Amino acid sequence: MKRIFCCLLLLVLTVPLLASCTMGLRQINELAMVAAVGLDIGDKPGTIQLSAQIIRPADARGQTGAPSGGTGEPIYSISTEGTSIFDAIRNMGQLSSRRVYWAHNFLIVMSEQYARKGIDDMIDFFTRNHELRMNTWVAVSSDKPAEVISTVTGLEVVPGEAVDRLFRDHRIPARAPGTNMRSLEESYLSRSTEPVIARVSLEARGISNKKPGEHGSIKQVELRGAAAFRDNKMVGWLTTNDARGVLFFLEKLNKGLEVISCPDSDTNTITLEFNETKLKVTPSYVQGRPRFDVRLTSSADIVENGCSESTEQLRKAASEGLDQELTTLLKDVIDKAQHKYRSDFLKLGDLFRNKYPVEWKKLGRDWNDAFAEAEITVEVEATVKSGVVKATGKGIK
Amino acid sequence: MFIAMILNIMYVKAIGVTQGVLARVAGQDMWLATLFGTLEGVVLVYLTYVVIRRTPDKDYIQLGQLMLGRWLSSIVALAIFAFFLAAFGPIMITFVYHLRDYFLPDAPLWIFVATSLIVGAIGCYYGLEVMGRVAVIGLLFIFTLNVLITLGSLQEFDIWNLLPVMESGLPKTAKASMHYLADCAMATMMGTLILPLVKNVEKGHGRFGVLGILGSGLVITIWAILEGAVLSAEVTSQYTLSCMKLARNAHLGTFLQRYEMIMIALYSLPALFEVMFCIYGTSVSMSRIFGLKSNRPMILPCCIVLGLFGYWVIEDHFRALDYLENYWPYIGLPIAIGLPIVMLLLRVLLSHKLQRKSA
Repeated sequence: MKRIFCCLLLLVLTVPLLASCTMGLRQINELAMVAAVGLDIGDKPGTIQLSAQIIRPADARGQTGAPSGGTGEPIYSISTEGTSIFDAIRNMGQLSSRRVYWAHNFLIVMSEQYARKGIDDMIDFFTRNHELRMNTWVAVSSDKPAEVISTVTGLEVVPGEAVDRLFRDHRIPARAPGTNMRSLEESYLSRSTEPVIARVSLEARGISNKKPGEHGSIKQVELRGAAAFRDNKMVGWLTTNDARGVLFFLEKLNKGLEVISCPDSDTNTITLEFNETKLKVTPSYVQGRPRFDVRLTSSADIVENGCSESTEQLRKAASEGLDQELTTLLKDVIDKAQHKYRSDFLKLGDLFRNKYPVEWKKLGRDWNDAFAEAEITVEVEATVKSGVVKATGKGIK
Repeated sequence: MFIAMILNIMYVKAIGVTQGVLARVAGQDMWLATLFGTLEGVVLVYLTYVVIRRTPDKDYIQLGQLMLGRWLSSIVALAIFAFFLAAFGPIMITFVYHLRDYFLPDAPLWIFVATSLIVGAIGCYYGLEVMGRVAVIGLLFIFTLNVLITLGSLQEFDIWNLLPVMESGLPKTAKASMHYLADCAMATMMGTLILPLVKNVEKGHGRFGVLGILGSGLVITIWAILEGAVLSAEVTSQYTLSCMKLARNAHLGTFLQRYEMIMIALYSLPALFEVMFCIYGTSVSMSRIFGLKSNRPMILPCCIVLGLFGYWVIEDHFRALDYLENYWPYIGLPIAIGLPIVMLLLRVLLSHKLQRKSA
């Protein structure tokens, strides 16, 4: 009797609790899955314009996205304004028939104007919101974010996914860093480094299948370059070469391509793929000033020889040429960080802080200024070791 | 089983909530603070054992009764009750915020409190053996979660984020370790009630408790190191639940993204064990104060008291964090440290009386 009573009591108590499964219940067909989001300054002063690339499940199917029965594009782009990001998203509810869902967002694009005004609100919103993934890519664009996120680009059905794969393979071309929310939040909160964010832009590179003569008539999203920040505001752009230099410091880039001129010709070139690259930065503290010795060692393969000489004959010149290219690359990005932007986005502050914690307490307060005055030497040692599958001589002797 | 219970009672809160607190106090030395706390916890648990070493069949309340009669046993019972009541606040912070902030923001708070108390009450009703077995399975979950989170965090692991070592300085790091010691205190106060029931406790020479604290330190320090190295101390310090932040970052390639569901699935059993033991601790203390033979009649009243207190703490996030950082260590530690010391002193002073009674 007692047992029956206890079981009944348990049932009565737990059944209402099961109703909690309806709280927060969202069916998949009620969700507007955002694949990319753009942030820009609004038309009205003090407002933010938010644009979202939302997947249209009825039309985003199959390998080619060719809709069977559907007539529209695989994405639906929408734009709203609000006084804050959250306000703009809520205003989206006035236009979108489904509730915005962030968990599948691949990309956040900010306009240059938005980035220059400061990204504190953007980082706070996207990290405070539990839906967003921390591996969401972040980029800045000189084009309108609304245009970037609404452009159908790449091989994938959903453009956001295409840009996601661009970022995932960013180390192959090595022309832009792979910045995601995780790394951005870390550099944003760090006392010893400044953020750097990848750049995306719309370039007319796509060729229409229907009008092949009109070369480059379709705009495609291109991942190239980066934006440098100081005190959470964008201070300027980094070129593709600068971005490669940044990759050595931030992502331990160990592979890449460099094209150098042939010794006997300005028009012909030789292409070298450097690999097994190691960057070593040694901080020191000399006469009250920080100092960094940057040393890059690498081996390289000749992957394309347009010169008249054989690879064996070119080896020394190619090594020297690669040395020079990489030295220039590193020096340029260091110069930009130190003198043009006065922003340590190369994470040298981290190294100094780790080795000189006591001195850091003094210099850390105004690290960007101390960094700008630091002495930085660059030494590169590159050795060409292979012509890949081809023999190193000229052929039959 | 006792070792498993120690791990279970400490793990859930220590890996996330406590690490966030440690990061806010000690920065990237949070893993050092965890290690210091572990060593302090070893001393504390051994001290707890030393008190009952000569009377291994008596828990603290029974020992108090033996030494100075009912009034001392009531005071000891009251202290244990107060400890577990105060500990329920941080336990609710851990349990409720994990579920509510990340999964069910629309669900009312009382559902989380009520659900955990119902499950905890059922476990407590069926006794320590059932709770011990839950803890053993919870141990398996703990190891699985640790392996998975390590695998999922390896890609972003950057050991340089943990440098420089001791940047916060020894005093600050030692002060931070107090928060971890408060987690160890939950284990030691559990020991005050159940050490006499551990098999061959007198032959163990305090080994079981020490091993439990060391084992907990090991599995929890992994999280401290991962959170520091993957997230960085600055990021860890921003969050109430740093473990969920780490789980949010973890991934196995591009296929298995986000570990929050895995985290919830695997941490649920240890979290519920914590609730169970809070109910057990308070109900046993109350039953001894009222002179009852069994703790079962006290389960429901204790659940109500715990539920009301827990709900009050978690209802306001700001109050919850204030309680967690500024009140809980100063309530829990004096009881957890003071009680064994007082009992030990009384043992020394009343050793002849105890010998006579034993004879």
